[in-house]
Amino acid sequence: MNTNFSRLIGVLALAALVQSAHAELKWEQPSVDLRPGFNDKQAVAHFKYENVGNTPVHFKSVHASCGCTTAQTQNEQVAPGQKGEITATFNIGGRTGTQVKTVTVQTDDPERSGIVLTLKAVITPLLEFQPTLVYWQNGEEPKPKIITAKANKDAAIKKLDVASSTPDFTAKVDAGSAPNEFRISVQPRDTTKAVYATLTIKPDSPANTGNMFAAAARVMPPAPTSGTAITPSTKASVSTARHDLATPAPPPAGSPSQ
Amino acid sequence: MKVSAVRQALLLIALAFVPAIGEAIYFRDKVSWQSPDRSSEMVNLDQAQSWGANAIWVDARPDNEFEQDHVPGAIPLNEDRWNELLPTLLAQWSLEKKIVVYCSSQSCNASREVARRLRDEAGLKDVFVLRGGWDEWLKNRR
Repeated sequence: MNTNFSRLIGVLALAALVQSAHAELKWEQPSVDLRPGFNDKQAVAHFKYENVGNTPVHFKSVHASCGCTTAQTQNEQVAPGQKGEITATFNIGGRTGTQVKTVTVQTDDPERSGIVLTLKAVITPLLEFQPTLVYWQNGEEPKPKIITAKANKDAAIKKLDVASSTPDFTAKVDAGSAPNEFRISVQPRDTTKAVYATLTIKPDSPANTGNMFAAAARVMPPAPTSGTAITPSTKASVSTARHDLATPAPPPAGSPSQ
Repeated sequence: MKVSAVRQALLLIALAFVPAIGEAIYFRDKVSWQSPDRSSEMVNLDQAQSWGANAIWVDARPDNEFEQDHVPGAIPLNEDRWNELLPTLLAQWSLEKKIVVYCSSQSCNASREVARRLRDEAGLKDVFVLRGGWDEWLKNRR
């Protein structure tokens, strides 16, 4: 009985010792919401922590979920009572909408060796286009087609300047049906030859720091005759058409000329 | 004895449910209840290759990975430089062509996002995501 009691006391003492010597990183906010401005190139999240335990914590690894995000620790080791932060930098690039990126942190904290930190960025661009491409079939009536541009309401865009990279298309801008909306009316001069143009769109806004946007307009090459299978002998001509859009593909043998 | 063992097993299962339910409620937004893959938008490598010259391959990986190696003839289109790279694809696209977008592996999300934007923003049809991505391509190239 006495032996059993001694063992029990021993186990409890050991457990108490293990409990008292522990490392624990306490995170202020494992999830951060950001709303970068429309001229911002990056969104930066600061994940603050404190070691509330009484032994040091070591970072074993810090990995971001995608190549667009980098994460850095201030220290490799966090002493008891020490505070610090992991900085996650998300490169916005051409991304829009809600972006969720994660940073996985591994430590030697036995209680919680891994934690996933979340950076959520809501990116509202200066302008959004719908659609970004307008096209006409070869020979189609050259009627205007509309690209709708929705402007960020905080940007106070007064007007848009639209320029076509080739004289084959004209573009006219009108106010849209809703506030902060524009209608870009694009029209080809001719739809009998395949052409491609980039439409460069420049918003006139005090909030814009030189951002330019692009949409595209195309007159398609003549469609291949239906039922034409892609065979090794036709592959070469298809491939050529992909790389030389300005030159319409020759009509298939036997088809009427336009 | 047997009844007691069963009772204990049931008790353990019931106890295990308590934290499981709590976790499911707490992490509700973080649990993916549905697969993000829409099977209709995915394409296997064999099928994509069978499209031959009728397919446009789009590499959604970062520039440095594209520069190291890529599917022959693929067009780079990543979200880091979306506005700069998109015109090249739009200039090569035509109605009868199918677009096959890939990123590094099955688990990456860039190809799905690029495919979604091509459909939603540019209005392109027949945009597919390569199942297994670049890893799958490499596996079959060897």
